[in-house]
Amino acid sequence: MTTYTKPLPDVDDPLSAPFWQATREGRLVAQKCDACGYFRWHPGPVCNECLEPGGTWTELSPAGTLYSYAEYHRALDPAFKDDVPYTVALVELDDGPRMYGLLRSPVTTSDIGSRVEAVFEEATPEVTFVHWRLAEGD
Amino acid sequence: MGIEHSTAIVGVGATEQGEIPGQTGNEIAVRAAVLALRDAGIDKSQIDGLVTCKPPRSADNGGVDEDMGHLLGINPAFSTTLDYGACGFSLHLAAAAIHAGLATTVLLTYGTNQRSARANFSTPIGGTADWAALSGFVHVAGPAAMAARRHMALYGTTEEQLGWVSVAQREWAAGNPAAIFRKPMTIEDYLASPYVVAPLRRADLTMISDGGTAVILTRADHVGDFRPAPVYLASLAQQSAMRNDQNPDKVMRPWIADIAKRLYDSAKMRPSDMDLVYLQDATSVWVLQQLEWYGFCDVGEAGPFLADGHTRPGGSLPMNTNGGQLSEAYMWNWMHLYECVRQLRGECGDRQIAGAETALHAQTHDFFKGAATILTTRSAA
Repeated sequence: MTTYTKPLPDVDDPLSAPFWQATREGRLVAQKCDACGYFRWHPGPVCNECLEPGGTWTELSPAGTLYSYAEYHRALDPAFKDDVPYTVALVELDDGPRMYGLLRSPVTTSDIGSRVEAVFEEATPEVTFVHWRLAEGD
Repeated sequence: MGIEHSTAIVGVGATEQGEIPGQTGNEIAVRAAVLALRDAGIDKSQIDGLVTCKPPRSADNGGVDEDMGHLLGINPAFSTTLDYGACGFSLHLAAAAIHAGLATTVLLTYGTNQRSARANFSTPIGGTADWAALSGFVHVAGPAAMAARRHMALYGTTEEQLGWVSVAQREWAAGNPAAIFRKPMTIEDYLASPYVVAPLRRADLTMISDGGTAVILTRADHVGDFRPAPVYLASLAQQSAMRNDQNPDKVMRPWIADIAKRLYDSAKMRPSDMDLVYLQDATSVWVLQQLEWYGFCDVGEAGPFLADGHTRPGGSLPMNTNGGQLSEAYMWNWMHLYECVRQLRGECGDRQIAGAETALHAQTHDFFKGAATILTTRSAA
């Protein structure tokens, strides 16, 4: 059994617990405003567009385009020292929100704008992360 | 009197820059304040306003106005502290306080011992950054690398073109005895150095250093009370982008163009009116972007513009003539202002730009807000 030694989220935080519940089930969700339909990311108490409180956790398409990426050659967080070099992606989801995650495909500058899809990676029994890879056949 | 030209810088002071072990940021800031008072040629009793700036990652809660006022032995009518007071933001607050009648002459201070105190900058950047840190996305180098990479994808910018930001600033630093990094660096040296967060190398990222700077700002009708020639604030503008990743182009920071438009419109000036340019350089990418958004070249053209040598000593656009944060010192743009004022007063010796009258001084707080000022020795009257 391996122990995960990198940062972990607080999956019991009431505001974000539904997100981690969903990723454990292989689903990507965000709060959708009940009044204006805006997909909110990150989790928050009110809609960032119309300020309607609450919202409904709603499934997002786990796909988008690669906006840009950063290739870490030094472990600026020492917890990632065994991972360098690793690449972090900024993804524009088809449904609107922008999310960061590790990029599990080798990429070059010309891959910016390419289609990417989510990869659900279990780190611990409680935490499944959403990372990304270039979409197949793109 | 409008807010333009209603205030002027009439004193500047700076301590040594580098490693200053055994002193708190406040002790360093007080020494800078004494130098600014001496430069201004006034007694501390003439200070009726105090704006202090908290240094980043300060372990000892440094930079609070009540502590600085105590150390300086002053009871100003108006005082406050900015938690994010990187130079331009503090300067604008002081100008606003003067314009509002809360004070006539404001002392601004900044001091940090972040190098000696081994401050940790490898932290997530921004309010929602804990999420990104789960993927190892820490330190400003991460989002800056994304911005550089996207610039390369959109416009064909090359690593060599980007490298001219730090190479040019190193060339300027060679003429600045106060600069910390003065060892010559060629573009070949730059390209041969390893990545930190690709495409960025060590030379693309600010150093961490100790030091202090202080500035004295007064109402324009009082400039005769001070020794130096006044440097007027001709125009001030700010813009935030606090919606962060809700904004479509977070890392490219197009909102800086909004600052530029208001700044130039207010001063009735154009980029070509700037004799000197000071662009804060937490990373070289900030310079690349600001050259474009402040209109010194077209959007997407900063790479060739830099490679053509415009910002190098002898080039058409003297920029960060102190060496900036990449070569002189990491002082949150305060040393850029110190250099800017001294250039406009004609006090910069071998690296003096002859006849410089008007300058741009601009900065950002990463992806969240920006501030810019046009400074000039020309009186509005």
